[in-house]
Amino acid sequence: MRAVSQVVGSLSRVPGVVAAMVVGAADGLIIEASQIIGLAAGAPDTRKHTAALAAYLYSKIIRASDAARLGTPAFMRLEADKAHICVVGASDVVLVTIVTPDANLGRVRLDMMNAARDNQ
Amino acid sequence: MTNPTVAEAWVAAPLKRLMEDARLISGVLLYPSGRAVGQFGFSNAADVMSICALTSAINASARELGRQLDGKPFYEMHHAGAERQVFMARASAAAQEFLFVGVFDRESSLGVVEIYFGEFQKALEKLLPEKQAPAVGPSGDFEGELNRSLDALFGPIGKR
Repeated sequence: MRAVSQVVGSLSRVPGVVAAMVVGAADGLIIEASQIIGLAAGAPDTRKHTAALAAYLYSKIIRASDAARLGTPAFMRLEADKAHICVVGASDVVLVTIVTPDANLGRVRLDMMNAARDNQ
Repeated sequence: MTNPTVAEAWVAAPLKRLMEDARLISGVLLYPSGRAVGQFGFSNAADVMSICALTSAINASARELGRQLDGKPFYEMHHAGAERQVFMARASAAAQEFLFVGVFDRESSLGVVEIYFGEFQKALEKLLPEKQAPAVGPSGDFEGELNRSLDALFGPIGKR
């Protein structure tokens, strides 16, 4: 895999990506994270929470996919009112991005999948 | 999952929430002196007694190790076993300090446990009774304190 800082750097520059993180798949801890774009001064930093819960959710998605005999999930997108959370598994890490609703999700997906593929 | 049993009623709700949210298998909240405040996942007082004694000793050692290596006590410890993992951390509410030790498996993760432990700590700060029993420092009667707290959790010996 490219250096995790490179992965985070390139993903965070994709238009619409608010934050990009490389997270331990098993422990949900942040390995590398970009700053949150547009985070107001004094606003709480939610990256640690997002990383842990996204990795946890992704682990459940893997189990659900396996139970349904669908194979390994390739890409997970959680759509909320104010943003999307995208997750891609890459061996023993997961790539997590927080993306604005008007972002080019196709581009985000492609870049995340490419970064994950480089890790296989 | 069974509900926590507690020696002090005010910790029951936050302890239950921590247990459920972090998907912990078992856990014990105690004072640094080794006196148990609440527990879940255990049916045997002897197990809780051992955990309290060990956690209290580990905390004392880790605190001193942290002081020597980092100039301040370590805040939390994590041990990842093959199947199960142990999370141990200090929580403080006002001037009162507590220790928590919890066990989890692949149904949870360290990141998730850390998040919900942070919320648990905030809940303790919010709920800590103003008139807290003052006998929280080591009284010198470790065994007596431990036995009294175990009686509160599991009932007096002979009735357990």
